[in-house]
Formats: sequence, structure tokens, C-alpha cells
Amino acid sequence: MGDMIKGNIAIAEAAVRAGVQLYAGYPITPSTEIMEYLSGRLPELGRSFIQAESEVSSINMVMGASACGFRSLTASSGPGISLKQECISCISDEELACVVINVVRYGNGLGTLYSSQCDYFRETRGGGNGDYRCIVLSPESIQEAVDLMAPAFDLAEKYRIVTIFMTEGALGQMMEPCDMPDFIEPKRHSWALNGTYSNKKIGIFDRDSMKEAEALNKKHELIKANEQRWESGQVEDADYVFVAFGLPGRSVKGAVKELREEGHKVGFIRPITTWPFPEKAFAEVNPNVKGFISVEANATGQLVDDVALTAKKVINERNVPVWCLPCVYGVPTLKFTKEGFGRIINGELKEVY
Amino acid sequence: MREILYAGFGGQGVLTSGLVMAQVAVFKKQQATWIPSYGSAMRGGTANCTVKYGKDTIYNPAQEEPDVLLAMNGPSYTAFAPSVKPGGIIVINNDIIGDDIAVRDDITLYKVPCTTLAKEIGQPRGANIIMAAAVIKLLGDFSLDDGIHGMNDMFRKKGKEKFEAGNMKSFECGYNAV
Amino acid sequence: MAKERIVPVMSDNPMSFCPGCGHGIVIRLITECLEELNQLDNIIFPIGVGCSSLLGGGLVADRIHCPHGRAASVATGMKRVTPETTIVAYQGDGDAYNIGISETLNAAYRNENITVVTINNSNFGMTGGQMSWTSMPKQKTTTSPKGRDCELTGQPFRFPEMVADQFNIAYSARGSVTSPKNVNKLKRYIKNGIQAQLNGEGYSVIEALSPCPTNWGLNALKAMERVEEELVPFYPLGVFKEREENKNA
Repeated sequence: MGDMIKGNIAIAEAAVRAGVQLYAGYPITPSTEIMEYLSGRLPELGRSFIQAESEVSSINMVMGASACGFRSLTASSGPGISLKQECISCISDEELACVVINVVRYGNGLGTLYSSQCDYFRETRGGGNGDYRCIVLSPESIQEAVDLMAPAFDLAEKYRIVTIFMTEGALGQMMEPCDMPDFIEPKRHSWALNGTYSNKKIGIFDRDSMKEAEALNKKHELIKANEQRWESGQVEDADYVFVAFGLPGRSVKGAVKELREEGHKVGFIRPITTWPFPEKAFAEVNPNVKGFISVEANATGQLVDDVALTAKKVINERNVPVWCLPCVYGVPTLKFTKEGFGRIINGELKEVY
Repeated sequence: MREILYAGFGGQGVLTSGLVMAQVAVFKKQQATWIPSYGSAMRGGTANCTVKYGKDTIYNPAQEEPDVLLAMNGPSYTAFAPSVKPGGIIVINNDIIGDDIAVRDDITLYKVPCTTLAKEIGQPRGANIIMAAAVIKLLGDFSLDDGIHGMNDMFRKKGKEKFEAGNMKSFECGYNAV
Repeated sequence: MAKERIVPVMSDNPMSFCPGCGHGIVIRLITECLEELNQLDNIIFPIGVGCSSLLGGGLVADRIHCPHGRAASVATGMKRVTPETTIVAYQGDGDAYNIGISETLNAAYRNENITVVTINNSNFGMTGGQMSWTSMPKQKTTTSPKGRDCELTGQPFRFPEMVADQFNIAYSARGSVTSPKNVNKLKRYIKNGIQAQLNGEGYSVIEALSPCPTNWGLNALKAMERVEEELVPFYPLGVFKEREENKNA
């Protein structure tokens, strides 16, 4: 077992080990330790760290490094990621690869500093203007976050897509033991700009949007088919299946364990990729399941929509009710989930779908 | 699994008290999590952290229902005493928190004058280590030796071994104070 | 007999700029300089949004369309990971000085080792001739139909002078495309800018005053005359920050 380490620091070091060549960013709580750490670490290894004048500028620096075929990274939180969306859309359009870490904090506008999952819709739907998706990874622990960092880049490069590494304020700030992965030395992408014009391009006014749309859909379908990741437990005989990701997902597993011990037939699905949404996990669910329950750290319920859509697809002969237990911010306690479950089975809480 | 809440003013070192606990548990091959209050709370005001440890998986790292509360100041006592599990323990810094406090009858209260003790042993900055050790003793899961080894291991990794003798003195003092 | 200038292959393609526009001349000059500096196989252009985007259709070189105004930041990312590659950001005045003023200015602030070429035609060309920050007082544009009111909209400003005066940069100059003499001077400026980058001297910016006959409502010749008569008096031509090696020469 490794040493205790803070989430943000562990993630930053994992990115270094995954071969990040450039980091550009702007300070914002609760993500700042990532850039603080890399400001010393990357130059030590002869790599680039830039404190940019703005969130907007930092993601454009990432775009430049990515266009040149190097692993590049930025990190921020809620409102900072909003500012980056213009360029995330451009990076997606240019089919470049990079990783963007969102250490999610709660609230609209400037929001608060509380840990949250309120950016679920934004991250899983693309986020900027246009019609694209990003692969979204949502770890439940520092160890899982660290283990997902190299795959985050691998996926981005395999599909030439942006990977959003969606953590939570609490995961960034907490500490727990963690084993660090080995260093890897990634190759510069063959499709990179290298100054010799070895990859031909066409002008923006010569593009064929119909053809591009077809290719984009094909890419999305391929990702959906191949890259769903999740953890699930005890869904085959479950009357009720909880769905939650990140720290709430981890907490819900504890609630499921206790509810089972108390005699309730419950199970859980914890999406690790929140896009592509792990639809395949639902295929294993008891066909006679009485309902799905999303547990999420936001105010209005977002994940619940994907749960309902997938439930409808998997169990299509009847209308399986889908509930939502939004804890607004923080990590839902086991008690919160269990009490919510109690209200659901007692008919005190109306389903969302 | 054990849950401990460490709370006080910023600057009283409660985050480190909690970290010592978590590191001692990890040193003894147990699972542990440490989660702080952060953000605006970092800049003056109050600070607190929750530590959980045990042999099994820790599901929710955040505060649920602490077995033990360490309250280093009055506001922390007032804010968090009601959240302690019935039958739990509250340790207060009674150099700061006076005797005129309401005490729940379903918990055990320990008063440790940690600032005075720290001064007495010539470690004026050691109050938080004294309290960390007192909490470890009251939980009863780790011996004095385990505690000191775990703590030293942690500070060595931070490159702070030059404070080792002083920290050990504080730890012993706290361990024997309850 | 006049010497024939061979157009470098990199820019010897039809591009869809309006007749009488100055972009084509500047692009040709950049590629001539790259050729002379042996950089034709070692160049990436982060290009702006606006008429500068048309570069993407004709230039036979590595290039990328940057978000509007952000080319200097994209250039920064490129240069940091491939310091051996020559990076020339190519932008218009609306792109570099309006929406992108922060990125343009901050690249100079960091003295980033890149070259920025801005085409100043005193309006937003691609979108049909709106007022830009470099539009002249009383200049009629589609968003200043009664003429630019500087009381309300601010004064036109001189970017190369500003960064030369305020920041520790390598090179700053302004040229124009209005006469063979000016074209030759502009080429010298561009070459110095790129040479500064090759030597690792730091940030260089070259602004080119350029006619926009279509949006100014003038024929090509009259548009050239406007550059000379209206723009040059406010936007003087010359070098504002000289390279150290030229100072000693």
C-alpha cells in the first residue's frame, strides 16, 4: 500500500508519469494544487509549465501543444471550465487529443467551493458550441484517478478526442494511500503538425460537413461500443438498483452493503465513464427490477436522465420507475442514501421518470 | 471503522492532528482517509478534517457520524458536539474552552489543557501533536510505539525529521495525558 | 530590366482574397522570408479568424485555425513543446487587437519566442466592414455608420509601439504594402522578426497596414491612397523595438 497523498497532487503526478509534456492553467479552488505541483515538477523534467493569463488562454496553449502531437493538460473547476469551452469545441473540431481535468465545485455562475457533481450535463454533452462529445472519466478514489490518467490520454489519442477527467472538490482535497503508476514515454502522434506539412489539410471553406458528420457519428458509435467502463454489484437479483458515480458512487456502495445486510435486495451501478454512459451495465440487471435510483451531488438531478433513458431501453416492456436522490453538494452519507431508499420503498418519494 | 473529526481555529494545527492519526493507521497497514474543510475556510476562520480508518473498505470518506470529536476551540465544540455518535468521545482543549459548556450525557468528555502542557514540556508548538496522541490513546487501537513510529514516518517523508525529538516528546505527553 | 520575384511554392496558390487586398502581398513576403531563412520545411502557422482564415485554403504549410483572437496562445503552446520549429501567428486587427487583445498582449508580456504578423486594415473585413479598435476617428463602418465617435468608442491604438514601450520584447515594427519600397521594407521587418525567433531572442510583432477596398468602398488604387493619406499619419511606419544585433550594426 502506498503513502497517503492528496488527490490533486496524486492526479498531477500521475499526469507527469503518463508523459504530459505541457501544462497550462489558471488558479481556481479546488483544483489549484494541480498547477502548483506541476509548476515545480514539469520544469524539473525539462517539460513545460505555463501559468496563463486566463482560462481561455491556457486551453489554447494546450491546443497548440496538442496540435504538435504532445500530451498536454489543463485543469480547472466549474466556471473556469466554462471559459475553456470555446477552445474545447475547437480542439474537438480539429480532432486533436488532450485531457482537461475538472475538479467540480458546486453552483451556477461563480458558484461555491463545495464539492459537487453539478457539471455532469455540461461534461457529458460536449460543453461548447456545436455537436460533439468528450470522453468523460469519473473516478471514485485517488487510486482509481491515478490509474485512469494514462488511459485518459490513450483514449484521447486513440479516438482523437478530448478526455474530460471529471473529479470532485472532495476527491481533489482528500488524502488516502495510493500506489503511483510507472513512468511512460509516449510517442509524438503521427498526425501532429511538425513544420513539414506531412499531413495535408483543407481550408475551412472547403470542408464537407455532411461527410464529417458521418465520420463523427461513426466515431461516437465506436466509442460507445468499446469504451464503456463501470463497476456494478448485486444487480442480477436486485429489486432496486442504485446508480451513482465518483465519490457518491463509492458512498452508495457502502449503503448497498448495509441495506443488503438489513435484508433489502439492492444493487449498484457505478459509471466510470460517464460518457460513453455504461448502458451495457444495465443489461445485467434483474429484468423484474422495481426501480432505479440515482444518487448525485447536485440540486436538480442530471444523471437521472441517463439512467431513465437507459432503463427505458433495457427494460422496454414496462415503465420502470426511476428516482433521484440529489444531495446538492458534498458526498452523500450512507445514512442519506439509506433514508432516501426508505422513503422510496414507503411510497413517500415520487419518481422522476 | 473509526471516524474522528478534528476541529479548531485555522493555525491550531488540527489538519495535522488528523493527518497523524491517518498516517499511524496506514503505517499499521489499515485503510485510511483524510478529508479537510477547504476553500474560504483555509484563510482564517475555522478548520476541520475528518479521518476514517479501519481494516475494511472506506466507502464515504466525508463526515458521517464521528466516534470521536477533537474540539480545539469553543465554536468547534458548539458546532460539532451534536454530531458525535451516541456513546462517543469528545476531547476538548480546556485551555480555551471553559467549564461553562453544555455536555451531552451520552458521550464521554475529556479535558486536555494542551497549550499548558505544551509549554510545560518546552514544545510550545506541540499542542496539536499532544491532542493527536490523546485521541489515538482514547481510541485504543494503536500503542504508544505504533503512534510514534507512524508519526515519525510521516514527518520524515515530509523532510521534517529535525523536529522529531520534539514531536516525540509532545506525542508521549499527549498519550499519557488521558 | 526588373528582377523577377519567384513566388515560393508554399504560397503559390489561388487564395480568395478580394482584389486590391493586401493580405496576399504579406503572405508572399512571409514565405519569401521563410525560404531565405531556410524554414520552409520547419514552419507552423497558427492562424486567426477573419480574412486571415483564408490563408488556410491556399497555404501549403502546417497550420491550424485558432479560436478567434487566441492565435498567440496557441503559438505559445506550440513553441514550448517544439522550440526548434518556427511559429508565425497570422492574424487581422479585429482578431489580434479586439477579441484577442488579452492573448496577443500577454504573449508579448511573457516575451514568448514567437512571431506575430498582424494585418491592420482598420476594420473587420470578413464580417463585412465593422468598426475595429484600429478604425480611424470619423471612419464610417457598418457599426459606426455616422463615422467613428472616439468619445464613445475609444481611440484607435498602436499595438507595436505599446509593446515596444512597455514590455521586454525582441522586435516590433510596422510596415505597409502601398509601394514597392514599402513592400521591401516590410519584408525586411518580417525577416527580422523571424530571425529574432530563430535566434531565441523572444517575441516579435510586425503589423502590416493593408487596404480593404471592398469594405472601404474604394477601388484598389484609392484604397492604397487611403492607407498612405489617412492611416500612415496615425500609424507611423518603422521599427519600434530594434534587435540588439541591428543596433550594433
